Amino acid sequence: MRRRGFFEPLQLKVIAGSGKVPPLADLLQALDFESAAEAKLDPALFAEIAGGDRSALERITFRPRMMVNTTGLDLTSELLGAKLFAPIFAGPMGNLKRFHPEGEVAAARGASAAKAPFVLSADSDCSIQEVAAALKSPWWYQVYANAAPVAAKEKIRQASEAGAKALVITATGPVREWAAVEALRKGMKLPVVLKGVVSAAEAKAALEHGVQGIVVSRPARPGAAGLASPMESLASVVDTVAGRVPVLIDGGFRRGGDVLKALATGASAVLLGRPVVWALSAYGAEGVQSMLETTQTDLARDMAMCGKVNLKALDRTVIRVHKA
Amino acid sequence: MRRSATRRMALQSLAAFVAGSPLLETPLLEAQQDPVRDQSRIKALRELESTFDFEPVAFAKLVRSVYDYTAYGSGGEFTMRRNRQAFEWADLIPAATPASGTVQTATTVLGTEMQYPIFVSPTATQGQLHPDGETAMRKGATAASNTPMIVSNNSTLPFAKVAAGPGSPLWVQLYPKQAMDDNKSYLEPAIAAGARAVVVTVDQQAPVYERALRGRNLTAGGRGGGRGGVVSVAASNPYRLPMYRLWYEWRFFDEIRTFVKVPILAKGILTAEDALLCLDHGVDAIYVSNHGGRSLDYSPSTFEVLPEIVDAVRGRVPVVFDGGIRRGADILKALALGANAVCIGRAVRWGLAAYGAEGVQKVLEILQAELKLAMLQTGRTTLAAVDRKMERVHFQ
Repeated sequence: MRRRGFFEPLQLKVIAGSGKVPPLADLLQALDFESAAEAKLDPALFAEIAGGDRSALERITFRPRMMVNTTGLDLTSELLGAKLFAPIFAGPMGNLKRFHPEGEVAAARGASAAKAPFVLSADSDCSIQEVAAALKSPWWYQVYANAAPVAAKEKIRQASEAGAKALVITATGPVREWAAVEALRKGMKLPVVLKGVVSAAEAKAALEHGVQGIVVSRPARPGAAGLASPMESLASVVDTVAGRVPVLIDGGFRRGGDVLKALATGASAVLLGRPVVWALSAYGAEGVQSMLETTQTDLARDMAMCGKVNLKALDRTVIRVHKA
Repeated sequence: MRRSATRRMALQSLAAFVAGSPLLETPLLEAQQDPVRDQSRIKALRELESTFDFEPVAFAKLVRSVYDYTAYGSGGEFTMRRNRQAFEWADLIPAATPASGTVQTATTVLGTEMQYPIFVSPTATQGQLHPDGETAMRKGATAASNTPMIVSNNSTLPFAKVAAGPGSPLWVQLYPKQAMDDNKSYLEPAIAAGARAVVVTVDQQAPVYERALRGRNLTAGGRGGGRGGVVSVAASNPYRLPMYRLWYEWRFFDEIRTFVKVPILAKGILTAEDALLCLDHGVDAIYVSNHGGRSLDYSPSTFEVLPEIVDAVRGRVPVVFDGGIRRGADILKALALGANAVCIGRAVRWGLAAYGAEGVQKVLEILQAELKLAMLQTGRTTLAAVDRKMERVHFQ
């Protein structure tokens, strides 16, 4: 066993693979849920969802403003016709029955209990109807751009009927699959959010093709790990989009302050992926709820300490981006 | 439930025992030597040569929770680490030692005369560190060339008791209270007892100390409590955030000005914009601080924002600075960027915990001697000659 180094980042310590997780109340932030998942899961399975790149977020500091009354702190917003309690989504993560017997249903129940919006993955182990029944918060449905069109359209129809408020299409190649995107959205009323945009040029193309939202994200394809991290591209995407459609982001967001950095840069909301799976693995729905609530509280805390009372008050003067 | 708690405790004891076993002390796993705990002997006062030497002694003498209270920062402690790191982003430029060899370090800040541009920061409950608490802190500060001390709002001893008898000049620190009478009933006796200035802390509206909440987890589920016992405190908004300091507004300064006739400082300023607002509200000096990394995590280091604040203030009021100072050269670097004086928090707390008033005195005297030496090595014999030209800054 390793002794804690003095300057090591604070994160809950566990015995990997021991199957023993601490009481939920001992977990203070999303990274602690990674520790809990490490304790709970078989090492090979844990390795699939371990880690995440926070390096771009570590290069951003706040410019906190004092003596601003924030007693009316409010994190709500409107996004594609839905009212969000806080701009933090439980992002699309698939095959969740490998991590918890109740899979996506438990994740959805946890998100719903935290009033968090949810994105249901195309790779769900649970049926769309089952998951929809567990959700009271707004939710979106996600498909891959390269999905077989007939089957995918049927699922999209089911999701729409079950109450999905938007369709997320995840780019699987460099975003040139417009024909596929068009085919998927044809005849469908749901707003389309394109996920996997990594540059201003791609954002511009997405706007030209009439998408109603963008998620800055590493695309689901080989070699994508070498691209700039989503947080590094966010400012240029936001500038290109210039408010015409909402811009969301995922990739490495853990602390409430991480979320605030994206919101201050101009994102409308942040998607949490791995932390949801960590929480689900270790504690089921209750864990997902707790992880999301902790992150919401930390976002609220950091907003208050930056002197910002609501999301409209945020702009880039809240942050400073450093070289290293 | 009781059964599982017992089982948990048993597992913890086992884990603690295993963790302590010398068999596990493999150097390969010790990527970072722990500067605090890897001590084989407690050093005597006369053996302590730099301010860093006091922390291990304090660690050895304090119970862990009291040690942690001084050691930790908020959140993931990014800002606390950065406060120290930032001094490495500035290089003092050596110059020929002046022939005279005498260095003039005396200054006056808001009418308080001082032999060195150094204050003792306001820090809470010093009685936990030493039985004589703030009285011992002041005794040590007084012995170190009459170093002025700022007495915390959360002092173990009442201000009047700390101020009793002769000693170094005192200022008083205040956490704003929403009922104006509460500020009055705290400040007026302190000012009557000799407080020469009021330091109003404007930050730390809703911090969280993960290290404190965690307690000393060796493994999962260690004692410490987690969020369970903490979040509910005064949490009354939909996001479960404690609200008791979120009401702060600038007009607080206008309101206390009606009954405070001594100078007022705003402590916790980190932006040029807020420094200018301080001036609008008649604040007499800006105190640049991120609460020693105990307020908003991922705040910048104080050292890297000092230039923007000094430039905004343009000499209209003094700028006082704290955050991560452990060496005389750190002090000189801050003065070179335009601070009028610096405050020392953790370093004197370690001194107090290690060797009481004598420890405080020695920490301050080390800093004073190092400051003089650094001034000589950069060819400066007066504070007036300290300027930005003596320093090369390469902030990240």
